[in-house]
Amino acid sequence: MPIVFENIHKAFGDKVILDGVDFRIDDGECFFIVGASGAGKSVMIKHLIGLLRPDQGEIYLDGEEVSRLSERDLYPVRKKCAMVFQNATLFDSMTCAENVALPLRKHTGRSHGQALEAARERLELVHMQDFADSYPAELGDGMKKRVAIARALTLDPRYVLFDEPTTSLDPVSARRTDALIRSLCDDLGVTSVVVSHDLVSIFSIADRIAMLYKGHLRMLGTPKEFQETDDPVVRQFVRGEAEGPMDV
Amino acid sequence: MSRETLFALPARVGAGILSVADQVGGMTLLLGQALRRLFPPRVDRYELVRNLHRMGVQSLPIVIATAAFTGAIMVIQAAPLVIRFNARAFIGWGASFVTFREVGPLLIALMFNGRVGANNAAELGTMVVTEQVDGLRALAIDPIGYLVTPRILAMVVMIVALTVLGDGVAVIGSMITGDLLLDVHPRTFIASALPMLGPWDVIVGLIKSAIFGLMIALTSCYFGLSTRGGAPGVGRSVNASVVAAASGIFVADYLSTFVLG
Repeated sequence: MPIVFENIHKAFGDKVILDGVDFRIDDGECFFIVGASGAGKSVMIKHLIGLLRPDQGEIYLDGEEVSRLSERDLYPVRKKCAMVFQNATLFDSMTCAENVALPLRKHTGRSHGQALEAARERLELVHMQDFADSYPAELGDGMKKRVAIARALTLDPRYVLFDEPTTSLDPVSARRTDALIRSLCDDLGVTSVVVSHDLVSIFSIADRIAMLYKGHLRMLGTPKEFQETDDPVVRQFVRGEAEGPMDV
Repeated sequence: MSRETLFALPARVGAGILSVADQVGGMTLLLGQALRRLFPPRVDRYELVRNLHRMGVQSLPIVIATAAFTGAIMVIQAAPLVIRFNARAFIGWGASFVTFREVGPLLIALMFNGRVGANNAAELGTMVVTEQVDGLRALAIDPIGYLVTPRILAMVVMIVALTVLGDGVAVIGSMITGDLLLDVHPRTFIASALPMLGPWDVIVGLIKSAIFGLMIALTSCYFGLSTRGGAPGVGRSVNASVVAAASGIFVADYLSTFVLG
């Protein structure tokens, strides 16, 4: 089992975010973590690459317990498990090509020029080659996310974590991003873990879904199981209803 | 008087001391982490060159202007006394001595703090609040080796280089003003300075300059990377960095003047 979360607890001060969450993610799966804002979805995936540490519990990646690794020992984990942040987190002082070239330059021993050349090819995959020399401040949110995806894929990771990849995108860009995530799983065998509350994305590309609610795993299942559930909280979420038992 | 009122002042003083101790401790740890990246060298050379350029080369106009006017102002201020005591033969030595030992390193450090230190704290602070530093970590790139060590090196190297240049420009400014205002020929100016100045006078200023550069680099990197709370947090970090570095520069100047003579 490539990714295993076991009894994860996390609190910020008095506020408990995760209160004993367990689930497993299979190889090559397009796995969605859903829930209301503040449910701990982003916190959950940040634990996987050591950006946050659990207060209690274990996280296994390819059989290795990663939650107690030192910052230095986490580098190999982060090379095989990339993350696309909600806000893209492109480096403002660099052009798009330089952003994509950075991990190539740092980890593959390529010179600045060679890394830039390879970065331009990577940008073509996300249809951003015409903006290679633009700075992030000159781009819209959707374009930034595409560059961030290109950057995350530069080291050919086996796992990619997406934190709300379609938030703030127009519908067309959102569906293109969905197609890109799906193709990573189908064509390259990449395991994608997607944090989202975009219902269209969830029900069009997810293999399985985990719903977090009040610090606990409320439901784990396929999109079909989510649509047919009798759980009133899950039903309210998947139908996007304003009225119901869900406490947001 | 209530118990709370009685203990309010000592509590505030204690909290202030703890806060300063926390910051000094944090900066010392940051320095240790940054130095550890030098053995063996794990500094991003591209980032180092970029910082040398933007921190040093782009500071040239402001340093040249500041130094030239400072040199001129020293002579203008000294002019009435020089005329009264007919001390024209000492103006070259006086202006050069003060410039090399004190005014050059100090003023250039304060200008450097305002321009480069503030900019560095703001840039790092913005990178923290927009998760760019976490983005670096997620790419398996060490933020200390990539962001901090090159900046510390660049600031120390460039402030010393700018001080050498600024000292020269300030002395030329003094010489031109001495010629125009006091009718001291440049040859007389140089003749009064050279025999009385030793290499140590220049070296002392450059040692001070390197200490000031290190202080600016550490405070701006520390406060930048400690930023919390969005855009207002970035503002607070820049403010704290500039004030802490300026205060530190004066304290370090006082102590180094005692130690270095």
